[in-house]
Amino acid sequence: MSDRTLTYGQAFSEAIRLEMEADPNVFIAGEDVGAHGGVFHTFDGVQSEFGERRAVDTPISEQAIIGLGVGAAVTGLRPIVDLMFMDFSLVAADQIVNQAAKLKYMFGGEAKLPMVITTHGGAGLSAAAQHSQSLEALFCHIPGLQVVFPSNAYDVKGLMASAILEDNPVLFVLHKRMLGLKGPVPEGRYTVPLGQAMVTREGSDVTVVSWGRTHNEALAAAETLAGEGVQVEVIDLRTLSPLDTATVVASVKKTNRVVVAHEAVRFGGFGAEVAAQIQEEAFDYLDAPVGRVGAPFSPVPFTPALENLYVPDAARIAESVRAALARPLLG
Amino acid sequence: MELTPAQQLAMHKSMVRIRLFEEAAGKLMETGQMPGFLHLYVGQEAVAVGVCEALRVDDYITSTHRGHGHLVAKGGDLAKMMAELMGKATGYCGGKGGSMHINDLSLGMLGANGIVGAGVPIAVGAGFRNKYLGSDQVAVAFFGDASTNIGAFHEAANMACALHLPVVFVCEHNMYGEYTPTEKAMAIADVVDRAAGYGMPGVIVDGMDVLAVHEATLEAVARARRGEGPALVEAKTYRFYNHHGIQTLGVKYRPDAEVIAWKERDPIFTFEDRLVEGGVASRDQIEEQWAQVRADIAAAIEFAENSPYPEPSALLAGVYTAGGAK
Amino acid sequence: MGSVGIIVNPWAGKDVRRLHAPVGHTPDTAKIGIVRRVILGALDVGAERVHVARDVGRIAERAAKAIDRAVLVDGPGTGSALDTRRAAAQMAELGCAAVAVLGGDGTSRDVTMGWRDAPIIPISTGTNNVFPGFVDGSSAGTAAGLVASGAVALADAGRRAKLLTADIALPGGDRIQDIALVDMALIAEQGTGARAVVRSDLIRLVVAALAVPASTGLSAIAGRTSPVAADEEGGVVVRLGGEGRRVRVPIVPGSFDVLPIASIDRLADGGSITVEGPGVLAYDGERDRVLPAGSTATITVARTGPFVIDVARTLRAAADHHLFDVAPGDSTAATRTEAHHGH
Ligand SMILES: Cc1ncc(C[n+]2csc(CCOP(=O)(O)OP(=O)(O)O)c2C)c(N)n1
Ligand SMILES: [Mg+2]
Repeated sequence: MSDRTLTYGQAFSEAIRLEMEADPNVFIAGEDVGAHGGVFHTFDGVQSEFGERRAVDTPISEQAIIGLGVGAAVTGLRPIVDLMFMDFSLVAADQIVNQAAKLKYMFGGEAKLPMVITTHGGAGLSAAAQHSQSLEALFCHIPGLQVVFPSNAYDVKGLMASAILEDNPVLFVLHKRMLGLKGPVPEGRYTVPLGQAMVTREGSDVTVVSWGRTHNEALAAAETLAGEGVQVEVIDLRTLSPLDTATVVASVKKTNRVVVAHEAVRFGGFGAEVAAQIQEEAFDYLDAPVGRVGAPFSPVPFTPALENLYVPDAARIAESVRAALARPLLG
Repeated sequence: MELTPAQQLAMHKSMVRIRLFEEAAGKLMETGQMPGFLHLYVGQEAVAVGVCEALRVDDYITSTHRGHGHLVAKGGDLAKMMAELMGKATGYCGGKGGSMHINDLSLGMLGANGIVGAGVPIAVGAGFRNKYLGSDQVAVAFFGDASTNIGAFHEAANMACALHLPVVFVCEHNMYGEYTPTEKAMAIADVVDRAAGYGMPGVIVDGMDVLAVHEATLEAVARARRGEGPALVEAKTYRFYNHHGIQTLGVKYRPDAEVIAWKERDPIFTFEDRLVEGGVASRDQIEEQWAQVRADIAAAIEFAENSPYPEPSALLAGVYTAGGAK
Repeated sequence: MGSVGIIVNPWAGKDVRRLHAPVGHTPDTAKIGIVRRVILGALDVGAERVHVARDVGRIAERAAKAIDRAVLVDGPGTGSALDTRRAAAQMAELGCAAVAVLGGDGTSRDVTMGWRDAPIIPISTGTNNVFPGFVDGSSAGTAAGLVASGAVALADAGRRAKLLTADIALPGGDRIQDIALVDMALIAEQGTGARAVVRSDLIRLVVAALAVPASTGLSAIAGRTSPVAADEEGGVVVRLGGEGRRVRVPIVPGSFDVLPIASIDRLADGGSITVEGPGVLAYDGERDRVLPAGSTATITVARTGPFVIDVARTLRAAADHHLFDVAPGDSTAATRTEAHHGH
């Protein structure tokens, strides 16, 4: 591995710049992504390198931004269209869900839609209920979309490259609280394949499945639990849809206990789907019910006093792991 | 239409309340005592005050991410506002909403909003309610220039006109949406050019002149109350600080000279000159108003600082109305 | 060969009057069209260059696009009357032989403030104007171009307008001079508010240089009682109030108020009248100057205004002299004058 380090945010813009260099049909469009480099600076340097033609500042028009992507993609370009905050995806929901996701299928499989929708999700900035959500479950529910949510700089670059090269729509979520997180990132182009989870820590006692920022909390929990003599295997899903069930199931068959942890609201969260897949494929291997960690059933509160309680952290994951290890209760 | 000296002084005070509240909040944010995003209203005071002074307490307003000024102008409680911005239990939203969701239903202030354009259709709903109940209340939607590029604005404007609702659309044209000059985001220069397309009158006013804003809004509101339908008032104004936070100069997206030129037209100071020249108030009276507001702000900060954070049990409260079906 | 100037008030036809009266809205597209036609008309008859003042509404910029000999002139960009005044001064410096002014009465007044001797073609893009008329852009451009190219002498193209001057003495001893082209009125209000004069009961006195019966607004008060045309010398002073004569006047388009007339006096060329504060002076229909108690304003009328180019008269002179004819064998005249798409 390279000893060069980049931040999570820099890895993202590097992937974009390299793919734009390689393919003149790749362009970015979104609010303040050009001259300003994005409000989170995740598009820094793109316009200065490629000009206004290929780094387009759009009006505040989320529906038209995604529509622009759909129209340009189906006619041969490879758009990267940005929705500043994941919450704003709902303003563009028709274009994402009814158009981008379904066009190819509705057209009898003929259309090709190579587009990436990028956005910034997650809580932790006291940005309150409309600027903090983790809505990935909504989009995982939609056939035709692929959903990516990386947890480190290396994966950001490799997965973003794959997303740009992919011929179907991809929703690419960056977590706002991780943008400054540094990690080793090789120079030059490389890809991390979509749809492949990764075992990021090996262990034998229990599996924790997670993604995004919560995955890093899971690693921290594993460290704590190691001190208690518990060997936790941690899986970073990286891509939520298509879901790499095989990697998860293989791990569960080894450890027989599993906790799924995510930042989104627990009820109806994507963890429920992961848990269901596990019980379908590995019911006989389970020594405890699948544990689930997620946010409480409320919008994201503004005040740090409540937001800190709201966002699932390492301690809550560790607690859920201990509960799984305590099974069976009788005996 | 003839404003009494007392009314004019009240308008002045309201503008000063906004100015000093925002500057205090900005400083608290800079020193890390205030979490989250802070979109300051400084520079645009004449719009909120000119408009809200033309409204009754029972008229409705919807607001934007830049909403503190609207609430202050509608009569908001500075202490509860400051407490909310600090995330305290005594704040307007019990600390759960913060700057972008501040509201006061008892004053008809239906909320700041984190989603650009989203308040506009809500004002249409409030206008619908007024017509439905046969009331002469009106609803005012505040929104920024760049917000008129989002579908919600267009659907709302058309619906209000089609249903002939008592809604007044107030556009605060400060020439930017975040860091993008609005001239790059729309091919027309004036939002009023859009009003005609929906079949309502649209007028431009000097948004740095509180009396001009007030007079125009008064007429737009009077029309709406009489059942003559919606109108759009476009106030040309400027935000003195950055999109959020309190940086003024040295940002790369707008020239310092432009900022300085607009600051020379400060809506509070120019109004003060007119009050003095017109014999409405003396410099001493004006200074006294500043002193009173400074004391109010200091008290608001003290109240907020001494207030507790919400208890953990507050987290799940308020998701549903208590007593509703589950 | 000379050049033509164009100054646009971007916000004419968009002010608060639209809430008070059934008057339409003049969108940018209409103004852009007029400016572009003026440019093309002027170039067609031999203007060397057209200087177009930049405006905050970007009308000039959009109208002049891709026309090589249309040059944008930078200004302060304040979005206020200052932009118009500064633009007029710049047009003087640039030596423009004719300046098309798009806007209302106030716009022509602002141009006059920036350049007292401006040779102007006032074009109305607003509501109830008296000084500018509704003039077709192509014809206005042609008239401007004919004057600029020297084909029609300025003296044959029009005449100097009348001007109202208010010499104001403030209680503290300060003195100010203001001007107007149509009328000056004393209004019993405290402030300038949204500027338009909409309450007829607060009008105390009108001094009109142009008292036009077929108009709406303050000038119509004098116009419907004692008309004075543009080519007549002097003006008229109408005081309102009292129980005597009453007349119907549309102060706001579409609403006809009954106004009491206290007195009507003709004002000879060079004559003046003094009014006292408190009140607000409205110039050309817009509240402009607060007149505090204890101050006075001496209003004078004289033919010292800008030079107004009469489009009909100029084109008539050109036609009479066969100036539109194409010389036999002139191959350059075979094509149309159009925008050069210089990109
Ligand atoms: C749907 C949506 N898109 C984007 C944003 C991010 N955003 C917040 S404020 C803003 C600019 C709004 O500009 P304008 O309406 O002119 O108001 P101003 O900030 O100038 O007062 C943007 C893009 C948002 N909050 N909601
Ligand atoms: Mg704006």
